[in-house]
Amino acid sequence: MSKPIIILEDVSKSYGAVPVLRGCSTAVSRGEVVVVCGPSGSGKSTLLQCINGLEPYQSGSILVEGVEVGAKKTDLPRLRTRIGMVFQHFELYPHMTALENVVLAQVHALRRSRKEAEARGRRLLDRVGLASKADTRPGKLSGGQQQRIAIARALALDPQAMLLDEPTSALDPEMITEVLDVLIELADEGMTMMVVTHEMGFARRVADRVIFMDQGEIIEDSPTKTFFSAPVSQRAKLFLSKILSH
Amino acid sequence: MPDVISQNMPFLLQGLVTTLRIAALTAIGGTLLGLAVGVAVQLRLPFVAGLLRVYIEFVRGTPLLVMLFICYFALPALMGLHVTAEQATVLGFVLFIAAYIAEDVRSGLRSIGSGLVRAALATGLTRLQSLRLIIVPLALRRIIPALFNQYVRLLKFTSVASVIGVQEFTGSAMLVNARVFAPVSILIFVALTYLILCLLLSSVGRVLHAYLAA
Ligand SMILES: Nc1ncnc2c1ncn2[C@@H]1O[C@H](COP(=O)(O)OP(=O)(O)OP(=O)(O)O)[C@@H](O)[C@H]1O
Ligand SMILES: [Mg+2]
Repeated sequence: MSKPIIILEDVSKSYGAVPVLRGCSTAVSRGEVVVVCGPSGSGKSTLLQCINGLEPYQSGSILVEGVEVGAKKTDLPRLRTRIGMVFQHFELYPHMTALENVVLAQVHALRRSRKEAEARGRRLLDRVGLASKADTRPGKLSGGQQQRIAIARALALDPQAMLLDEPTSALDPEMITEVLDVLIELADEGMTMMVVTHEMGFARRVADRVIFMDQGEIIEDSPTKTFFSAPVSQRAKLFLSKILSH
Repeated sequence: MPDVISQNMPFLLQGLVTTLRIAALTAIGGTLLGLAVGVAVQLRLPFVAGLLRVYIEFVRGTPLLVMLFICYFALPALMGLHVTAEQATVLGFVLFIAAYIAEDVRSGLRSIGSGLVRAALATGLTRLQSLRLIIVPLALRRIIPALFNQYVRLLKFTSVASVIGVQEFTGSAMLVNARVFAPVSILIFVALTYLILCLLLSSVGRVLHAYLAA
């Protein structure tokens, strides 16, 4: 754990008059795994999307590797290649094979040669256990397989950090483990991650910290042990009791 | 095959070739123009998008024959240049069908969820790259059936060109008829030929759509 790679300071955002983030501050250090949880609509997805500039914010500051995300002169495409993102609904390109999905941004955003990109793509597909599916289109694959390809697509850019927005919540129960296993391995290798998830077993196992959000605010930002054994806020307690009871 | 047909085959074939040439040029030009217009309108390009909407509405409210007259009589008169009947035909048809194709392109673009766009941007692709590499190719695949409907439609409406003296298939057949007067055999032959071509075209569309479907 060294210097922070992502720093949020007093970030606020609203859609029109509706505030969705209120004064959010936190920092994620290199190698740290942070789990973000909270009720639906609390702003978790918005928070992640602000970090790589997919959503603008109105005040405060977000620094990624020292670069202000919201600054006009920031080269967002370049910044985004430094941060891998994984979505709830995979969002693979349906008209391309698994390998093409993993190759595309390497060639067009990083300007790698196709040959190099394909070699890297195949290694990553192999790593997520899907080497045999390189030439298959996403539509022919299960949700778990699609999400593992989406993870490979993000990793292909050699990101410095990963943002994952409910990576398992669209999956059938029997496929959740295969995706979590990949993420656990990543965490063990020291990948910096922010993961929005309600998989509390996963959080206990790999998270260094847990952030709890409610109504656009970061209510709690504690080491994992503390969060589960003695959450500070009443709202987090309530949330935990609900989520752990089923 | 009736004698009137076989005896006049070379002449009829010549007309058919003209028809196919006009249809192919119209399909290519109309698709390119329709794609450009559809993308520009959907992206709400400032100023341009408004003008293009006017163009689309204008074409959709104008009969094909009027469009053809505009390109054959009005445009040359206004701009003082000489166009052949076939050039005017292709121009008029392209301008006509492109307006409809642009609407198909727009509905294809609209069908692509914002999640996919975000995913593309999140990998560091620029807006233009995600449009060129993902959104447009995907939209085009989805609208293949609609596109081929337009191709079938334009193949049939090429016959309108005979009105300004282009010797395409229908026009040639009518010339033969004027000479030999055998309307029944000739028109059955003409109709069957269009029917077969249209069926061929739509099955190409179906195969292509199934092959590229995602
Ligand atoms: N494009 C938008 N326009 C207006 N309001 C929006 C938009 N996107 C999100 N919101 C609102 O912002 C708030 C936060 O949304 P967000 O998706 O970040 O929540 P979340 O914590 O990720 O919820 P969930 O657990 O359901 O994914 C919600 O109240 C939502 O309705
Ligand atoms: Mg969300």
